[in-house]
Amino acid sequence: MTTPTPPTPAPSPAAEAEKRASFEREALVHLDSLYRVALRLTGNPAEADDLVQETMLKAYRAWHQFQQGTNAKGWLLTILRHAFINEYRRRTRHPETVDIDAIEPFSVFEEVQDDDPQGTFFDRIVDDEVLRAIDELPEQFKETVVLSDVEGLSYEEIARILEVPVGTVKSRLFRGRRLLQQKLYDYAVGMGYIKGSPK
Amino acid sequence: MNCRECKEHLYEYLDRELTPAVEQDIRQHLEDCPPCGEYFDFEKLFLDFLQARCRVQGASPELKRRIFNELFGE
Repeated sequence: MTTPTPPTPAPSPAAEAEKRASFEREALVHLDSLYRVALRLTGNPAEADDLVQETMLKAYRAWHQFQQGTNAKGWLLTILRHAFINEYRRRTRHPETVDIDAIEPFSVFEEVQDDDPQGTFFDRIVDDEVLRAIDELPEQFKETVVLSDVEGLSYEEIARILEVPVGTVKSRLFRGRRLLQQKLYDYAVGMGYIKGSPK
Repeated sequence: MNCRECKEHLYEYLDRELTPAVEQDIRQHLEDCPPCGEYFDFEKLFLDFLQARCRVQGASPELKRRIFNELFGE
C-alpha cells in the first residue's frame, strides 16, 4: 500500500518574491543575447520571439535547478538550443549539409594583402548583408560563430552548450569564420568594393 | 616560435584562449615578424567587424512585455 503524497504547499509570497527578484536579476538581463541567438537560429523574428518566450518560461519553472552564482547565460542558452532543436528545427528550413573538408581553410587576407591589408572593404558591408551571410552558414558553424563572435562566450562555455568537445568548437569556429569571411569577400567583390574575382 | 606555429594559434590567440606563456611567445613573434603581425591584425579586425555588425539587434519592448506578463502576470 502506498502512502498518499501530501499536496505540495504553495510557496510563500516572500519566497515567490525572492524567486522573481533573482530571476529578473540573473536571467532576464540576458534577454537581448537570447533574442540575437534565437533570431540567427530560426531566421525569423516571430519565431525568435516565441522561442525566447518559451525559453524564459521553461527557465523560470526550472529556476530552482539553476545553481546560483554559476553562468546563467550559458544555462539559458542551453535551454534555448534544446527548445529550438526539439520544436522549431523540424519546421524551419533544413540545414544544408556540407562537405566540411571542402571548405578552403585559407584566409581572405591572402587575397587582399596587396590592395587592402587593413580590410577597409569590410566597412562598406552593411549589417543586413553580414547577418544574411551568417544565416547562410551551415547550422553547426552558424551556432558556434554566433555564440563566440556575437555573444563573446569562451570555448569552454560554447562546448558545454553545444555538448561537443572543445576541440570541435575550435575547428568549427575556424571553418565557420573562414566560410563567412569568404562569403563577405565575394559579396564585396561583386559590389565592386574591392578588386578581385569571387571564387 | 616560427610562422607556421604562430598561425596555428591564430584564433585561440585572438579569442584569449591560450596560456599566458604561449600568448607571450606569440606576441613576441608578432613583434618580430611584420607579415604575421599584419595577418593577425587583419583577422582581429574581421572579428571586431563581425561583432559590431551583429550586436545591433535585441529583444523588442513588446517581447519583454509579453514575457513579464506570462511569468509574473503583469
